[in-house]
Amino acid sequence: MVSMRKIVVPGTVVSDHRLSMDNTYVDGTRTVSAVVGLFDDSRNEVIPLEGFWKPRSGDIVVGVVEAAGRNGTYKVVLTEFVNGLIIQDKYDREHYMPGDIIEAKVRDIEHKVLAVLEEPRRLEGGTLMNVKAVKVPRLIGKANTMIKQIMDLTKCSMVVGRNGLVWMKGQGVAEATEAVLRIEHEAHTSGLTERIKSMLEKGENRNT
Amino acid sequence: MGGSSLNKPELIIDGKRRDGRSFRDLRPIKIEASVLKNAEGSAYIEWGRNKILAAVYGPREATPKHMANPNKAIIKCRYQMAPFSSLEGHSRTGPNRRATEISKVIKEVFENVVMVNEFPGSEIDVFIEVLQGDGGTRAAGLTAASVAMANAGIRMKDLVYAVSAGRIGDHVAIDFDMIEDNYSDADMPVAVAPRNNDVLLLQMDGGFTKEQFAEAKELILEAGKTISEIQKDALKRVYDVKGASE
Amino acid sequence: MNAIDVVKVGYIRELLAKGVREDSRGLMDQRPITVSCDVIDNAEGSAQVDMGSTRVLAGVKFVLEDTKPDTPNMGNLVMSAELLPLANADYEPGPPSPDAIELARVVDRGIRAGNCVKLESLFVGEGKAWTAYIDIYVLNYDGNLFDASSIAAMAALMSSKIPGVKDGAADYGSRSSPVKAENIVTSTTFGKIGDKILFDMTGNEETAADARVTIETDGSSIRAMQKGLSGSFSFDELERLVAESMSRHEGLKKLIEDSIRK
Repeated sequence: MVSMRKIVVPGTVVSDHRLSMDNTYVDGTRTVSAVVGLFDDSRNEVIPLEGFWKPRSGDIVVGVVEAAGRNGTYKVVLTEFVNGLIIQDKYDREHYMPGDIIEAKVRDIEHKVLAVLEEPRRLEGGTLMNVKAVKVPRLIGKANTMIKQIMDLTKCSMVVGRNGLVWMKGQGVAEATEAVLRIEHEAHTSGLTERIKSMLEKGENRNT
Repeated sequence: MGGSSLNKPELIIDGKRRDGRSFRDLRPIKIEASVLKNAEGSAYIEWGRNKILAAVYGPREATPKHMANPNKAIIKCRYQMAPFSSLEGHSRTGPNRRATEISKVIKEVFENVVMVNEFPGSEIDVFIEVLQGDGGTRAAGLTAASVAMANAGIRMKDLVYAVSAGRIGDHVAIDFDMIEDNYSDADMPVAVAPRNNDVLLLQMDGGFTKEQFAEAKELILEAGKTISEIQKDALKRVYDVKGASE
Repeated sequence: MNAIDVVKVGYIRELLAKGVREDSRGLMDQRPITVSCDVIDNAEGSAQVDMGSTRVLAGVKFVLEDTKPDTPNMGNLVMSAELLPLANADYEPGPPSPDAIELARVVDRGIRAGNCVKLESLFVGEGKAWTAYIDIYVLNYDGNLFDASSIAAMAALMSSKIPGVKDGAADYGSRSSPVKAENIVTSTTFGKIGDKILFDMTGNEETAADARVTIETDGSSIRAMQKGLSGSFSFDELERLVAESMSRHEGLKKLIEDSIRK
């Protein structure tokens, strides 16, 4: 069955009942969208077309070390207003320099805008790019299909952070960047995996 | 308001206004969203001869630091008219008393609808630059800023619109241009949350009886339906690439 | 809002939920008001208003100035307000804050739109006219500066006497003609806290308030309105408050008139 998706804006009533749904709020007895997004009435879901990353525990993020704190802690910039914090064991400390790019997992969130990180890993070299956080799920794809496809076809290593920072390294960085930008632009359309595939394959032919 | 009565032009000719509108007609309104690359969200509005850009930056770390609120985002607003924006010679730029007051009341509107609790310690900046002004710039600027805020992905309770109603002689009318504004007998800019018609901004000067105030309310709510649709269309067009309406 | 303000908001809201105000007034009751005119001899007009413990002083000075090209036969009014640091712990010295600017502009709009003083009557001749500089000085803050300032400005202006003119300059030593007041505008400011609407808020109540609306009227027409703070009003509430404001006009007008006759 094809589900009905319609564009909603802040203030659009998506249900006459009180529902608990991301990107909406309850106003009296109704449920109202808080964002510009696509409302899928078969799944009762508002998928935002614009928006900011809200840290959740378990999120994989990519960040830049900004400063060293005391006792082996490091402040990591994740977005313009969400910072990460690396806390390390006394006996097993890694040293980071300001400017280091790291990948880590969010363990806890303190006060909505501070993400305590675990399992940090330094990403050596490579480049960083920024995509809108709402486009990240599409960039990763169902069961990582999209990102795997890009890595295979461009021979790049990539790490996609839920916070919107994407790290990449390898010979096809230019092609990978192009693919990421296209996905960001067309994230809300269907048939995208196929289009990206044919785009990257054409690029391969051009190179050989 | 407040223009000299010496050379007051005829504002009503054969029951119509100078530009042929009836008392309940809005000027043509066009909004385009997402027009500036650097801003998180932006919108350009042409409302009659008004040309206004609105942009939203943030949420970002609040500066200066002591201004930050640990529980919620603070909202800053700057409304400004460009020195070349008016027909009446070069005007000094920067915040004058009028702009300061308008910035304050617009800021209060966004404090109402933006879900500020989601971004503690941050600030959200709303910039409204009037490039050409022809009456009703605060309403047009606020209407555009609302679209810019939604375009930025900042979560809001509603997509607020604003419009001005006023009076020419015995006639209550909507959306004055500059000349009507200069010689009108009352002017009342209002911002409304369309989901419940709550009034978020209200200013007024001139003279309204109770009955005229009630009539102005009707005109505003009617015009609001049109303005709301134009705002929504502007946002929808941003994502109107192929495959969007599956 | 600091930690103490948060505590204040808490008890104000709790009391109001039971319909009680911190000074046990009814929701629509006004605090006692006294208006004293001519308190500053050197000013051409002045008035002090005490509204509960809110105290506001307005002074008027007349300055002979060149007329403006677009209004060759009129004088002018210039309204300013200062929230003096001695009036409240939160007020700081420096250029006028947005709050002070809003206060001055809202009071100005009512008096101007109500044609309280015909600007033509301030015209002197030969390209000269009087500009009346009205300065509102907030001396102690305990809420409702809009209404207190409006009464003070109105009374100061109406009680002022225009200086004479000698050799094309103002002669402040002689005061002859009283200002001709054609109309009296009164101001009423209502607050909304939760779902309760109340009149004449104290400072603590203003800290707790969600929304505020000022309605200025001459009894037959609304002359100016201004909504403030981040809360909202419905149109029904506004229509009710407009009627309320108009019904209070005569009483406030008499207060101003009586203060001038004294």
